Amino acid sequence: MKKKIITVVSVILAAVVLFAAYKVFLAPKGTEGSKQVTVQIVIEKENIDETFTYKTDHEFLTDLLKEKQDELGASFESFDFGTMITGLMNYSVDPNSEYFHFQVNGEDSMVGTDDTPIQDGDSYKFVLSTF
Amino acid sequence: MKIRDIVLVGIFSAAATAGKLVLSFIPNVEIVTLLFILFTVTLGLKRSFFITLVFVSTDILLYGFSTWVIGYYLIWPLLVLITSMLGRKFNSEYAFAIIGGLFGFLFGAFFAITESFFYGLSYGFAYWVNGLLFDLVHGVSNFIIILFLFKPLKKMLDSQMARWQIL
Repeated sequence: MKKKIITVVSVILAAVVLFAAYKVFLAPKGTEGSKQVTVQIVIEKENIDETFTYKTDHEFLTDLLKEKQDELGASFESFDFGTMITGLMNYSVDPNSEYFHFQVNGEDSMVGTDDTPIQDGDSYKFVLSTF
Repeated sequence: MKIRDIVLVGIFSAAATAGKLVLSFIPNVEIVTLLFILFTVTLGLKRSFFITLVFVSTDILLYGFSTWVIGYYLIWPLLVLITSMLGRKFNSEYAFAIIGGLFGFLFGAFFAITESFFYGLSYGFAYWVNGLLFDLVHGVSNFIIILFLFKPLKKMLDSQMARWQIL
């Protein structure tokens, strides 16, 4: 049993090293410095189509959205899997049928705003959609 | 295949599905790999192969049909095949823990390959890198679970098999 415990501890230590290596070399990183991006919000049923231009030093989009929360009329909810945008322009989604569809540079994003690194010149679009 | 084998396949695939559902609230921590390795060593290649097929088919009923189905129909029988080939040479819980650990660690890479056929190489690469931490958890948890549970479960299953004169 002692041998097994030593093996397990060694494996966990190796995993921690791999985890650190992942964080240093492979995890998504934002570039530091002044970046200009646009945030477009479309809520057709309220006739809202607004575009905001921001200069930011934030690395990830959620941080920018939270900084501009008042101007964007944004509300958020935190889950284990990340931050969910539950409202924009003071419009709260009906969680049973609506969500904000998220696009980066005109393409559907594969990740949420937590994992979207802000790059200079990016345009982000949130469209109220139903499911 | 005898009627007894068909019943065994049904019971053990149900056990694998139940094991999966019980632990589904912890991402990438599962006992399915342990069970399939155990079944392969105890019940043999043919029965275990059918167990994996029934298990994946049940998964489709539970989660719906998508591209992952193809990967699942390949990866679990592959685990059974690898265990069957290596199990005869290295018959210790350490060997099986290493097989299970590597299997968990490479799980995402395997799916990245199958997903690449549908969505392109760059998507496959992004899919793999994005899931690397989950693969790490998967590999480590598989290793620990198999290292501690394989031997007692094998003993139990062997005694039941002998009791019912199955082997």
